[in-house]
Amino acid sequence: MSPRPRTTGLAVPILALALYAGARPIGPAPALGPFLDPANGVWAVAASAELPRSAAARIPGLGAPVRVVYDDRAVPHIFAASELDVARALGYVVARDRLFQMELQTLAASGRLTEIAGARALPLDREMRELGLPRVAERKLAALDPNSDGMRAARAFAEGVNAWIDGMAPRDLPLEYRLLGRRPVRWEPVNSLHLLNRMGWTLAYSDDERVRLRAQARVGRDAADALFPVVSRIQEPIQPNGQRGPRWDTRPLPPPGAPDTAAILADRQAPIPPDVLGSNNWAVAPARTAAGRALLAGDPHLELTLPSIWYETHLVVPGQLDVYGVTVPGAPFIVIGFNRDVAWTFTNTQSDVVDYYVETVDDPVSPTTYSLDGEWRPLERRVETYRGEGGEVVAVDTVRYTHRGPLRRAGRAGQGAQWLSVRWTLYDPMNESDAFVGAERARTVAEWMRAMEPYSVPAQNMLVADRTGTIAIRSTGHFPIRPGDGRGDVLRDGSTRASDWTGFWPVAEYPQAVNPAQGFLASANQQPVDPAVNPRYIGSNWYPPWRAMRINALLRADYAVTPDAMRRYQTDPGSARADAFAPAFLEAARRHGAATSGANGGAANGGSTDGSMLARAAALLAEWDQRYTKDNERAVLFEYAMGELGSRLWDELRAPAGGRGDDGPEPRPADAITAVLLADSASVWWDDRRTPAVERRDDILAASLVAALERATREHGAPTSGGWRWDRIRHANIYHLLRLPALSALRVPVQGGPSTLAPSSGSGGFGASWRMVVELGPEVRAWGTYPGGQSGNAASSRYTDRLATWAAGELDSLRVPRRAEDLRGGQVRSTLTLSPGR
Amino acid sequence: MRGIVGILMLAAALALATVVAGWWGVPLAAFAWGVMARSGRRAASSAALAGALAWSALLLWQATRGPVGTLASRVAGAMQLPAPALVALTLLFPALLAWGATVIGQALAARLGRGRV
Repeated sequence: MSPRPRTTGLAVPILALALYAGARPIGPAPALGPFLDPANGVWAVAASAELPRSAAARIPGLGAPVRVVYDDRAVPHIFAASELDVARALGYVVARDRLFQMELQTLAASGRLTEIAGARALPLDREMRELGLPRVAERKLAALDPNSDGMRAARAFAEGVNAWIDGMAPRDLPLEYRLLGRRPVRWEPVNSLHLLNRMGWTLAYSDDERVRLRAQARVGRDAADALFPVVSRIQEPIQPNGQRGPRWDTRPLPPPGAPDTAAILADRQAPIPPDVLGSNNWAVAPARTAAGRALLAGDPHLELTLPSIWYETHLVVPGQLDVYGVTVPGAPFIVIGFNRDVAWTFTNTQSDVVDYYVETVDDPVSPTTYSLDGEWRPLERRVETYRGEGGEVVAVDTVRYTHRGPLRRAGRAGQGAQWLSVRWTLYDPMNESDAFVGAERARTVAEWMRAMEPYSVPAQNMLVADRTGTIAIRSTGHFPIRPGDGRGDVLRDGSTRASDWTGFWPVAEYPQAVNPAQGFLASANQQPVDPAVNPRYIGSNWYPPWRAMRINALLRADYAVTPDAMRRYQTDPGSARADAFAPAFLEAARRHGAATSGANGGAANGGSTDGSMLARAAALLAEWDQRYTKDNERAVLFEYAMGELGSRLWDELRAPAGGRGDDGPEPRPADAITAVLLADSASVWWDDRRTPAVERRDDILAASLVAALERATREHGAPTSGGWRWDRIRHANIYHLLRLPALSALRVPVQGGPSTLAPSSGSGGFGASWRMVVELGPEVRAWGTYPGGQSGNAASSRYTDRLATWAAGELDSLRVPRRAEDLRGGQVRSTLTLSPGR
Repeated sequence: MRGIVGILMLAAALALATVVAGWWGVPLAAFAWGVMARSGRRAASSAALAGALAWSALLLWQATRGPVGTLASRVAGAMQLPAPALVALTLLFPALLAWGATVIGQALAARLGRGRV
């Protein structure tokens, strides 16, 4: 009996629909057939979630068999016969765990995110391409010596990655590729350069000139210079200056001047809020440690992602190399780590290595030439084609270049737009790979420092310690030599070569210190050198020195530092910023209360603060121990008061009502400037011009405190309700690379607040990306962790297995075996044997 | 009893087809099944059940190899679905494919059969 016609009539569209949904993506959903297929589709990802007890594979080009032992923390210890084989094996194991991350980061760095995200990623891609980053990577690759250690390592690494891709079983295809309906593309050595460029963009691309100009447009040049100073008003430099504490410059700020409307320039990107990328490092000489051995702590802060930006590994070539640490997936070397003799770590120098030049062009809309020393020179043009998910063209741009770098338009066409060319140290040839590969082999601090001399960008405060007890730090990177006063925080005239950089600082002149008398070294993105010691311009975008002040205070007070103390300091809840401001709020409340007593809470000194509310707020703030512990119930009041204070104090910098609205976000001076201003109670800056009264310091502090109490009560309930707990308010939010909440770790309670050593502010998307403590004794001992896990597979137990340790401020003990056989029994999670062959 | 055995055998065939030919194996095998069982009254519903059973078995097999539950919640979350819905979709999909392909196979076989007569 055949089916009834009605059944057949129903079956045809249902089957057609099922086949269509099976074969074609519908909206954001992938094609259901290959996706749901339980044999080879997304469900197969479960089978690759955990490492097999043992595995074997072949890598073309491998010189000899390589043994990889994954320890109980899933760290691969790679034992190979040559450094090139190490690089091949590293490529293989990193791809095995992080393939999608590697490709996504490459796409981001080369301005090709539209290929997976469509037109919505166009602004991000345009930023990369308009800055010339893909072109730079291609040029650098062409300029590199193909026989250099770094290039050979990059090629070997690519061979390892591609061996993994070529040998992947269906189950090994990462989840993200399945969600996006993509296949991995083969890895090219240029990708490693893209990643380094991306790191340079993250850490070394700043537009201080534009921030300053926005402020100048509103309060004039003198005031803008004072609010965004080249020289930090609180000096606690990296290079010890012989002082036993911070040096404050409390000279009064000049008053606001007339707006300089000619200084307005449109901004292309929102600035990163201050103190969210707050890295720390410090080292202690043997004389100040309990065990008499040098100690080093590394604590780089970056955007937090799942999987993490770091991958932990140990590379061993007997007799040649024995290095442990973290690498960026895609880089063929250890970035931060240690060997048997030397340990090293970085913080960002914040140096000014990007300059803008105002160019004179022939056509303000579509220029073809620019004027240089009285001659019209052709602009180099590069057509940038952005492709979508299906290979279709999403957009086509032309990026123009002067001899300095890419040309970008600031402002709207026809409304006083300017063409600015960008000069950046990133555009110069570099060989970071050679530097890192050389540093991995160093046996002493001096050897390590020599190996890193060619390093150019992003400039880093490179802290290093060795087994003999030497500690040293050097701000390393290319620092441009500029004509005239040498400042890079102003727009320069592009019409003459006389404005161009004339070279780079010699390494001997980099800010540095070796074995200082104080017995320790620390950096926290603050100004490297006290200008009283050396006034030479190196930058202006210094983070407030609160973290530096805190770690230095802790280290100055500790004459027997232990590794555990180093660990505790990394998440220390104390804050020099709170120490500076909380007493000021309390004093202001006391004085304000005294001034208004008998006036029934009425206005005084131009203020209009409710007296009883102020007394209540002050009483609550007085209960605060000025620490940002998770269970703290008063830190929120202080933070809200700080927010209110900034809003009331810097009203002069707000965009004027009815303005064009294209002059970018509101520039906000750092808290360190506000702290300096506390000493000047009658400064005109204290007056909130939005009110008819004329306020002074105490009025603003008191009003801010009252407003903070109102806000905290409104948002979190009564102060004793439990709603004010710090861990209910501040969290780390660690997003998956595709920002899919289901694959992310959100609202992770952490200890720390703005300007603590583990700064937590803003979106919670930034934080300690790798914490490490190393003790350099006869046998190196080390501890570390990062937020996330080694695997990029969201179903794996290794995806977020380190998160709890990280959030608690704890560290894992790191295993550093000399031989594969040194790892035994429960210490071994998995083994992998790599053999030469096809 | 024969019916149950038949469904199980058909499920095994559909599972094998999936492993060998991917998801296309389900409609292809079900179509062939429909042609062969052109006069079977419950051929299509048996195929639908067998399709769901086949993929259930494969899912269970995957569960022995890795954390399918964790994966289900992560993937479903990424697709803004509850995890059970993703599992249900995984079982419904082959059922629909198998049912539709079997019906059409039967109809085609019947038409061709009539033509020969």
